[in-house]
This record gives sequence, C-alpha cells and structure tokens, in this order.
Amino acid sequence: MADGTPQWAVPPEQQQHRQQQAQQRPDYAAQRPPAAQAAPTAPPQAPPSGGAAVVSPPPSAGAPKVNKFNRIAQMEEKVLVTRTRDEETEDGRLVNKEAMTKIRDAWVYKRVRSRVREFTSYRQALCFVGTWNVNAKGKEESLDEWICADWGQNGQYAPDVVAVGFQEIVDLNAVNVAVDNKTQQRSQFWVERLNATLNSPSRTQNDPNRGYILMMQRSMVGLLICLFVKNPHRQRVKAVSADSVGVGVMGMMGNKGGVAIRLNFYDSTLCFVCAHMAAHRENVVGRNADFMNVLSKATFDVGEQTVRENIRNGSLSQWALGSGSLGIADHDMVFWLGDLNYRIDESLPTETVLLLAERGAIDKLRTLDQLNIERSEGRVFEGFEEGILSFVPTYKYQPGTDKFEQRPEKKLRAPAWCDRILWSAQEPAYVQQLTYKRSERPNCSDHKPVYSTLRFTVKDVNAQRRESIYKELFALLERYDNRSLPAISLDKSELNFGEVRYNQSVTLSLRIANTGPSCASYRFVPKIDESTLSKSWMSVFPTYGMLVPGEQPGVVTVTVTIDNNTAKLLNAGREVLKDTLILRLENGREYYVSIKGTFARSCFGMSLDQLVLYKDPIHTIALDAIQRAEQFPNENEVSPSNALCIPKELWRLVDAMYEKGLSTPDLFTNHGNPEEVVIIREALDSGSAFGVFSIHSYAEAFTSFLTSLSAPVIPTTVFPNTEINAENIQAMTRRLLEELPPIHYNVLVYIISFFREVLLHSEKNHLTAAKLAHICLKHCAPADVVMDSAMMQRRAGMSLILIHLLVTSSI
Amino acid sequence: MAQRVHHFKLVLLGDTAVGKSCLVVRFVRDEFFEFQEPTIGAAFLTQTVQLDESTVKFEIWDTAGQERYRSLAPMYYRGASAAVIVYDITNPDSFNGAKSWVKELQRRGDPNVVIALAGNKADLESRRKVEFEEANAYAEENGILHLETSAKNANNVKALFVEIAKKLPKNPPQPEREAFPIAAPQQTTNNCC
Repeated sequence: MADGTPQWAVPPEQQQHRQQQAQQRPDYAAQRPPAAQAAPTAPPQAPPSGGAAVVSPPPSAGAPKVNKFNRIAQMEEKVLVTRTRDEETEDGRLVNKEAMTKIRDAWVYKRVRSRVREFTSYRQALCFVGTWNVNAKGKEESLDEWICADWGQNGQYAPDVVAVGFQEIVDLNAVNVAVDNKTQQRSQFWVERLNATLNSPSRTQNDPNRGYILMMQRSMVGLLICLFVKNPHRQRVKAVSADSVGVGVMGMMGNKGGVAIRLNFYDSTLCFVCAHMAAHRENVVGRNADFMNVLSKATFDVGEQTVRENIRNGSLSQWALGSGSLGIADHDMVFWLGDLNYRIDESLPTETVLLLAERGAIDKLRTLDQLNIERSEGRVFEGFEEGILSFVPTYKYQPGTDKFEQRPEKKLRAPAWCDRILWSAQEPAYVQQLTYKRSERPNCSDHKPVYSTLRFTVKDVNAQRRESIYKELFALLERYDNRSLPAISLDKSELNFGEVRYNQSVTLSLRIANTGPSCASYRFVPKIDESTLSKSWMSVFPTYGMLVPGEQPGVVTVTVTIDNNTAKLLNAGREVLKDTLILRLENGREYYVSIKGTFARSCFGMSLDQLVLYKDPIHTIALDAIQRAEQFPNENEVSPSNALCIPKELWRLVDAMYEKGLSTPDLFTNHGNPEEVVIIREALDSGSAFGVFSIHSYAEAFTSFLTSLSAPVIPTTVFPNTEINAENIQAMTRRLLEELPPIHYNVLVYIISFFREVLLHSEKNHLTAAKLAHICLKHCAPADVVMDSAMMQRRAGMSLILIHLLVTSSI
Repeated sequence: MAQRVHHFKLVLLGDTAVGKSCLVVRFVRDEFFEFQEPTIGAAFLTQTVQLDESTVKFEIWDTAGQERYRSLAPMYYRGASAAVIVYDITNPDSFNGAKSWVKELQRRGDPNVVIALAGNKADLESRRKVEFEEANAYAEENGILHLETSAKNANNVKALFVEIAKKLPKNPPQPEREAFPIAAPQQTTNNCC
C-alpha cells in the first residue's frame, strides 16, 4: 500500500469464514446473519491481508438487482412528460431539442455507470450504527459494552464510521418541544460521552490514527444523531450536511420525526437517519406515514458542485443536475435507525407477548412484529433491508434492571422491538451486516440500546480516469454526429474554359457523387452580400439537386458566354474570366469550384479610341492593363502621331465589300452566313487574310462590328436638340460634325463616304439614301430598348441629318 | 451533458498550408494525416469540450487558406463567436498573414469574437522562423489568446479549444427540473402520535 493510506478497519470476514469452518470465533459466529437475511449472492472479497483493503473488481451480483428505492432506477422509468418545448420543423416533424439532449445524456450516464469499475477502486470498511431511546435518563454509565461491542480484543475491528442515534434525550413535554435549551445541553452531554468512549486512552493508546473525530451532530427535541469517523479518514470526508424533519404534533413539531446526516465518505455517499416515529401499539399507519414524511422531506443543501460530483461518480442520476440539494434517497447507502416504535401485532394479548418475551420465544414474536408485517406487505421501508431479529425485544424495561416493566403502578406494556436498524444500498452487495444485537448495558432507560456493525464497500474514484471515460463517450457520439453529416465529392475543383472567344459559349460539366451516408441535397449559393450565384457571363444548370447514397453522380453544366456586354467589360479590363462557384451541401460543408478562362481578345466590343491605337492585330495586344501600358506607353493620349485615322478593321471590311461589288442586290438587307461572319471576325482579330466569302457576310461583320463598339460612333449627346427643317439642317449638320470626337468624326465621315459609293449602285442594290441612313443610325447609334418621345424625336432628326450627309456633298 | 450545452460557431482562418484542417482533424477525430489535401471550400465539423461548469459544443468551419478564396472568408467568420487564426512557425509569411487576418476580424468580424492565434507545426523546432516571444507579444498587444500547437503530435490542440471555450460567455443554465417535472414521491398524510 502507498504510504499515508489511512488505517482501515479489518473487516472480520476472514475470521468469519474460519469460524464457520472451525467454530473458533463464536463471537462473530453468533452474529452472522442467517442465510435468509439477504445475504449477498456474491459477498465482497476479503481484503488480501491485514491493514487497508483494496478490492478490485468490486462485488458483482450478476444481473444487478434494481433497488426500487434507488433514485437512479426511478429516474430511468421517468417519462419525458412535457410537450411544451416541442418545435415543429417545416416538414411537420416534432423536435424537442431538450428531450433529445436529455435522452442523449441518459445514454452517456448509463454507459458511465456501467463502467464505474474502470475508474473506481473499492475498499472494505466497517460501520457501526447504534440507537438508543434513553428515556431522558443517562448519567455516567459506561457506553463501552454498547458502542465498542464489536471492536475485538485489541480493537482490531474498530469501525471506520460510527453513527449513533438517541431518542428522548429530553422529556417530550410541551416546554422541551418548544424550547431547545435542554436539548442542546443534553446533546452536548451525549456527544461528550461518545467522544470519551471512542477516544478513551485505553483504546487509542495515544495513537492518533486510532482516534475518532466528530464530523457532525444534529438534534431536534429528543432526537440526536452523531457521526464520527476514524481520524485517518478525515481528509476524505466531504459535504457533510444534516437536516431535521419534525412530524410530531400538528405534523411538524419535533417530538416525533427524524434527524439525518449525510456525507461523502471517499467517493461513496452515505446517509444516516435517526427517527423517532409515532407511538402506541395500534398506530401502525402513523408510523408508516412518519417514515414517508421523513424520507421525502429531509433535504441536504450540499451545493451544485457536490451534486455534480456525485453524478459524475455514478452515485446519482443525471436528472439531479442543476440542483444543489439531495434527499435521503439520493445516496449510495442509507442507514435508518431509531425508535421506530413498531410493536407486536395486536392479535396477541399483552400478557402473552410478555410471557413469550420473557421466555425468549422470539421466533414466535418475530412473525407478529408489525414492522416485519408492514415491510412484507410493501407498506413501508420499501427497498430497505433488516437483519433477522435474533435478540429479545428491547422495550419496555424497568429502568436499571433486566426485567420487563411489570410494576403494578405502571401501565402494562407488551414488549416490542421498538429499536431498529435498517439499511438500503443502491448496490445491495455493497452492504453486509455482520452483527445486529442489543446491548444489556447501559440499562438506565426503559429501552435497551441496539447496535449493528456493517461491512460496506467504499468507492474511491480516480477522477482522471473517470474524465477520460466521459471524454471517450463524447468523442464516440461526436464521431457519429460528424459521420452522419452528408458528404459529396466533386470530380473537379476547377473548371478551366481555356480561351473563350467573342460571342462564343463554352460548356463544361462537373460530376457530383454522394459519398456520404444520407441524402445529399446540394445547391449553388451566392457569395456573401451577392444576389446571383455567379458572374453574369456564366450560367449553371441545374443549380440544385439531390442524390441518395449510391445514386449515379449528378451532372452540372457550367456555361461561359462572352456576349457583347461582357466583351466590352473584358476589353476595358474591368472584368476577368475568373470566379468561384460555391456549392453548398445542406447540413454539411461547402465546396468551391474555381472557374477560369482567358478571353481571346477581339476588335469587337472595343472602343474606337482603343482600336486606332493598335496597328497590330488585336490578338497580339495584351488584355492586362500593366502589360499593355508597357506596349503602348501613350495609350491615354490619342494623337495623329501615335494613332490610325480609323480602325484598320473598319478599313479592311469596307475594302472587302468594295472589291466584292457594291452592286450586289439587297446589300445590307440580306443576312450573311453566320460561320463566315465568325471567320471574318477571327481574321480581323488575328490579322490573317480573308477567305472567299459572300459580300453579305462582310456586310454583316461590318454592321455588327459597329454595333459592338463599347461606345457608339454617334453618341446620343450629339443628336440634334431642335426640330430639323430646311433652314437649319445645314447648320445642325455642321454642329454635329464639330461636336463628334475626332476618331468618331473620322469613322462617321468614312462610313458616309462609303455609303455614298454604295448609293452610286442603287439601281442594282436597291438601296436608297433613306435606307442607308437608317442602317447607319441603327449601327452607329444603337437604340436603347426603351426610349422616351423626346429621344425618338432626336433620333428622327439625326436620321434626317444622315440623309442630308448622304445626298449632299457637305463634308 | 445535462448541463446546458452551449453552442458556438468557430472559424479557422489562416494562410494556405499552415495546418488548419490538421488542427481540426486532430481536435475532432484525434487523427493526423501528413499529406492533408488543401481545403477547397469550407468543411464543417463539430466537437464538444467539457468544462467543469458547462459543456461547449463547437460548430467548426474550417476554411480554405488559398489566397484566391480569401474574399469568401467573411461568409464563415460573420456570426462566429470564436476564431482560430493559424500560422506556421516555420513560415514568417504565414505569421504576417495571420496578423492581417487578425486585423480583418477586428475590423469586420463580430465585435465580441474570441480570437486565438495558433502557431502550428511547433514540432518543427529546428526550422522555426517565428519566435514564440514575438507572436506572444503581438497577441498580448491585441488582447487575443496565443498558443503554439502541433497537430502532428497533438500538443496543445485540445488546450487551444478549451481555452477558447473558457473565454466564451455562457448564459446561466436554466433549471433542469423545470423542463421535465419529476413526479414527487408518493406523499402520505401526516400523522401525529
């Protein structure tokens, strides 16, 4: 044993075994409870040797016997009664989070309780319990014969815990019931007497480890309970608390009732109740009621910390959490002692009882004992055990004698076992009664003292190991929690669209597989503070879906489209083909899908001012502003020295049409071939030569080039503000040309000149000045979808100016 | 536990490859993978911490550290009660990154967010580039927790989350018995003798 281990009482079990075999120790032989007396099926193991006993594993009674008195067992039968905190989910299910938490907690604690042996070591200890109704008597009579009856010759069986209860330490008269002066005084007397007995030098031999210390006393009128522990255990006694419950006059006075002390002894919880219950032979019901009242009313305020600790040790139901108090039933072991006042059944005449008692015919009386009858009927002390009554009734004696009271001046009483000791243990095998006797001395009272020595199993918890078990259980639950989260996998975390061209759509797909244990509902979600899932140049389909486990992967397509608006932004460097899609797995994680691509730069969707800067094909011009700045240091200052007069692309298109023949019928009216238009655009961007294409394709490339410009050739700001008439048309035309920015002026003049050429072939191409003006306006000043009437007026004026330009030579 | 379970959202932030996911995996599953794949997205896990007085359940968002996803981080730290900002003690840039995360959180996160700075990879002492004292002084200046951790050998990982759990405000637990009244033991009428 480690140093400093308290000196433990040697449980006399080994001796018992020996004497059972050889009858060498009659003192215990006589006291061994008969087999019928709830002998544990698997008695606690004997200590390996003298001194401190560490027992492991603890006694096991096979399938644990559920003690109905056990609050843990009671709690497990509880129903989660309330519906008030139910919440209805959207699909109509009812969820009560609090109930779920409690059910889960119950699981955890149940598991912990089933594993207490892993974090608890067990020791055997001896407990002495004594009770005596002193009938307001008591002077200096020795208590040795009673208190120290079981100590053995050399005190080797001196108990570890001593609980002694007295009744009627004062007369139960009205004064004493109301004023407790006398009670205090007599309590002090008895405590001192006990102290002197337990710590008499002849017993301790001045060894402090053999001495006892009073942990707590509690009195109420005639009741007194005192609790001593052997000195070495003092450090392991915690949360000692007492309470008293009066159930006497008016159901509350202290002439009857109970006083109780509870403590944590090592990590076992013990409670001792000393009761004086209703008197008179016929009042069985009153006694039963007194028991229930004391049991249910006694409360020990030990604080939340102690309650929590007891719960974690497996001594108490988790249902008590949050409470700072304990009841009698909330203990590992409860010892109930006192003048319980149960008599011999009234069917037996007083004289017969007296005769049988005097003869020691206790077998006959025992069956008629009211407490035995009530217990067997389940009307009182449910869950408690009592040793067989193997001693003569303890009441009512002529004080100072060993004779039952029969003096003629006194009322004749039928002798009875008023004075009793019972116990209840959550784990029945943890308490074993070794003796249950009465003492012949002292005999100054009309009751004889009764005592019992019990061996009990003490729990000693290794808190660190205990916590690791809690941790393990929670980790297990956590694993399931995390495991039951849905999971999916994506075949890619990046979609690279490569080079994407003007007016082109590219589609890539993404496969989503359900790799989790449950249905996976997924959807694309916008980024924080955004309302769309992605940039405008991208679309996702479908944006949501669900997969059951094992289902074929879902396919999501992502399409990138460069329309003219996007091209304008990309060309201006105000947008890049980069984005992140966020795929949310509902009730799970989020997945990112990176989208990237490069814009194959096009002359379409650019501004005239930019286009005139670049003498080289547009594909060779960097999109990145910084790179471009290195390429074209004077980009921001367009001047004749560093710029073309008009975009070379415009010139190439016009040149091509000119060569193909402006006399082609329905020029600018027929559509071109879409594929040819794309190839023409590519040739413009790359600088490669045109192929052989229809003039209509060139015409369409020409008009769509103009339309795509990020700033129209003719900005609306230069539209005429006044109505055009024959007088002002000349001036208004001049004003327009003056107001146009230089490159725009060049371009418009170039287009007008070209269209004048076209008009020369009007007989064949069926075009008129009005038609061409309309085409010019449509593409050089694309109309907004919504226009007010003023704007329509101005456009009409603009059209007149264009006609004027086409039919006159006024440039 | 039957003590009220306090739920808190916690977010892990920090530069790429500092060990955010490893810390979480160590904390939640007590496992370690030498070659953890980069987190592309945000992983969600839960783990419970037992304190003496209460139980704290962390709902953990482990975010992507790559720079290109940085702009998405506010989705996770908004509304978070706690943030673990992780750097790699062998990588000074990651410590600078951590500082900028602290600033961002202080500016844009919840005003009461509990921030913990975690110097991860503390097992790689020989390659240390960020001194403990320097990081600690920085943490003190900013009033945030600081621990050096090793997801690899589990050092300080639990402690990190426990320290955070302790700092988080917990409302007083509601009386347990109110919710589920426990039937009183059967009462009998009082009798006096």
